[in-house]
Amino acid sequence: MIYEFEGKTEREAIEMAAAELGLETDEFDVEIVESQAGGLFKKGKVKIRVHVRDSAGSPGTMAGESDSAADLDREAESEVPDQPERREKAAPDKPLLPNDEFERKMIEWTAEVVTRMGYPAKVTVLFREEKKLGLKIETENTAMVIGKKGKNIDALQLLANVYAGNLGRDDLKIILDSENYRVRREESLVRIAYESAEQVRRTGRSILLEPMNPFERRIIHTTLNDIVDIETKSEGEGLYKQVRVTFRGRK
Amino acid sequence: MERDLVEYIVKSLVDEPDAVDIKVIEGEKSTILELKVAEADIGKVIGKNGRIARAIRTILSACANAQSKRVILEILD
Repeated sequence: MIYEFEGKTEREAIEMAAAELGLETDEFDVEIVESQAGGLFKKGKVKIRVHVRDSAGSPGTMAGESDSAADLDREAESEVPDQPERREKAAPDKPLLPNDEFERKMIEWTAEVVTRMGYPAKVTVLFREEKKLGLKIETENTAMVIGKKGKNIDALQLLANVYAGNLGRDDLKIILDSENYRVRREESLVRIAYESAEQVRRTGRSILLEPMNPFERRIIHTTLNDIVDIETKSEGEGLYKQVRVTFRGRK
Repeated sequence: MERDLVEYIVKSLVDEPDAVDIKVIEGEKSTILELKVAEADIGKVIGKNGRIARAIRTILSACANAQSKRVILEILD
């Protein structure tokens, strides 16, 4: 997939792209379409085109490899958790209407907070599951609302969940999303998992991944769970632990 | 603007919204927000390991205005 971004400098454009797409800067290829250096009185402008590798769980590093490990990878892929049974999802152009007072309050809270941050926003119901409520934030400043590696949207989501608890809905997990960030982040984590497994296998040395929240770590663990020669373990303290990917050898 | 944002968030988190008080101290390069809540609510705005306070500060630093001026949140007890 190809996206275009524009910034004052090349770096700024790339960072915007990373935040917007929810990827690390080394996870996509950048092509510079247009570049004007900034002068003394003139702002520079750089337009980039970003090529995102197809991430349907088949990282390029695995291609052509035909040993049993690759087969195992494929098996693991098909074990994506099943869709929960009761799930209602908004169509792209047709949001779900709030069902009750609680949903109305959650929508109002989210829209109000993001708007007060300085980013006028519209919030709608994205999906309903038995224990989850997904809300979609629409704003012109998605990159800022999401933040680097989802820092901002995760902070908003944490507070939204505390608020939901105060309204008496401890049983429900609130998921905030904007421009499909959650799905894109999940795909990028699956890719990170496979790529680090491949590197660990090649070099025999373990890798310590960047700090991640429990949800993100779980994606790494479950992605690599079925690969027999690879082991994953969380290290560190607190909310943001790091996953270590280790080679166990073939058995 | 940041004051209203923090006030809105904090009031939604505490049991005694009427006791929420925010004092704004404008500096040259930064703004300090001094937050006071009811004693019983302090834990609610700080959270386990400071998670909630950290989330509020993250949101503050993501504000449109924060690009030009730093906003510091102090929780008084």
